[in-house]
Amino acid sequence: MVSGLQEETVERSVNLDYWMERYQKADPEAPRALISALSPALLSFFRSQRANREHADDLLQDTWLRIHRVRHTYRPGEPVLPWVYAIARRVGVDGYRKTRRIATHETAMDVLPEAPLQNEPQRHQIPTFEELVGALPAAQQEVIAMLKVGGLSLEEVACATSSTVGAVKQRAHRAYERLRKLLSTPGEGRLGEARNDL
Amino acid sequence: MTCKGLHSASIESGSTSPLYEEAADHVSHCSHCRRLLKALSPSEAGAQPSSASLDQIATMLATDLRPVRPIAAKKYTFITLVAIVVGVVALSVARMGALAIPVMSSLQTYAILGSLAVSIGLSAYSLVNQIVPGSRHRISPRLLPLTVSIFLMLLIAVAFPFRPEPDFWTRSWSCIRVGTIIGVLAALPLWLVLRRGAILSPAITGTAIGFFAGLAALTTLEIHCPNIQASHVLVGHLGVVILCAVTGLLLGTTVEGRLKGFLSSNFSGGACE
Repeated sequence: MVSGLQEETVERSVNLDYWMERYQKADPEAPRALISALSPALLSFFRSQRANREHADDLLQDTWLRIHRVRHTYRPGEPVLPWVYAIARRVGVDGYRKTRRIATHETAMDVLPEAPLQNEPQRHQIPTFEELVGALPAAQQEVIAMLKVGGLSLEEVACATSSTVGAVKQRAHRAYERLRKLLSTPGEGRLGEARNDL
Repeated sequence: MTCKGLHSASIESGSTSPLYEEAADHVSHCSHCRRLLKALSPSEAGAQPSSASLDQIATMLATDLRPVRPIAAKKYTFITLVAIVVGVVALSVARMGALAIPVMSSLQTYAILGSLAVSIGLSAYSLVNQIVPGSRHRISPRLLPLTVSIFLMLLIAVAFPFRPEPDFWTRSWSCIRVGTIIGVLAALPLWLVLRRGAILSPAITGTAIGFFAGLAALTTLEIHCPNIQASHVLVGHLGVVILCAVTGLLLGTTVEGRLKGFLSSNFSGGACE
């Protein structure tokens, strides 16, 4: 028996296949359909990888530029999500390296004042998805983001990351263990500490 | 069900399928798991992109929208790559002669040529997957050249005798020179086929192309060169494969650097206007 959610997934997958084929045939509606269907998850994927909003927007735009350039490499009938996320992952890696390169050439001229703490009463609440996943090592971040935000299956994540299903499972399990520890440890700034540890 | 079991259930269900009954029952009793799943729930995930930025991207793509022909099926690309290697080896051997075959024992011939055939097949398969994003890699593209090189090194050390040899370096250099020319001749048509794909990681794919071309050169040398001393084969023949792979890596790294420069200038110059 197929649940409503599963039906939705199948339908979405069929639509993505359909729109990718239309995109290759230069249907003017296709880019817009694909962009609106995939961009929210892609943006969250980048946000969960320690990119701020502005940087995530840049990475999203860069991803679509690259998708456009290599759209002929999508083979009709094959799943779209691993293909898209493999490209997004590469854009993320390049973006991260670029940011790091720029950061190493920048010199702090003055110490910035501490930002006022907002949402003070909410400090004991569950952190956001981005905060939580941002505290994981990069390899675990991308696996969790693809599984939970992108909605990819284990096999699809393995394809998108040029890895095996076993390796993906292992990374996901390690991520869950780490997240459980972070969530169960009392005290503020635990996520920040975890991030600094990486 | 334990908390660990719930991890597996949650990982395998992804973000869309509901948890099965036993897992759902565990969540209702375990506050830690409930907290974890709530934090990882997709509904909690992130802000939406602004419609203005999505419109901007769509307009940008629409300005350069023309029909494209999808890349050929994997099997055709695989056959083409293998055919290029076979063609280069056949032409080179036809020109230089198969002087090593009468010198090697049947066991040595089958062992080395059989291993090379398998290595070429695996490398071609890996390359076919590398040029299409999201392809399944049964063997890591990073590890394949290294693993195959170590395997061939051990095979050569076991299958061929180590004996002192006069003019070792002169003879080895002669084979390296010939092998490098064959490697370059193989790399050019390979590049023409592979450039149609999407090379997301030029350094890794560059290494793989160099390695694959090097295998064509190694196969030619194993059929042509009558010197079957293990040290000569390791340095003069297998050395060509290493040399070609390193050259591919260096070229790939250079291209990767330039590509990033191009992307960032293209991005800031055109896309954001």
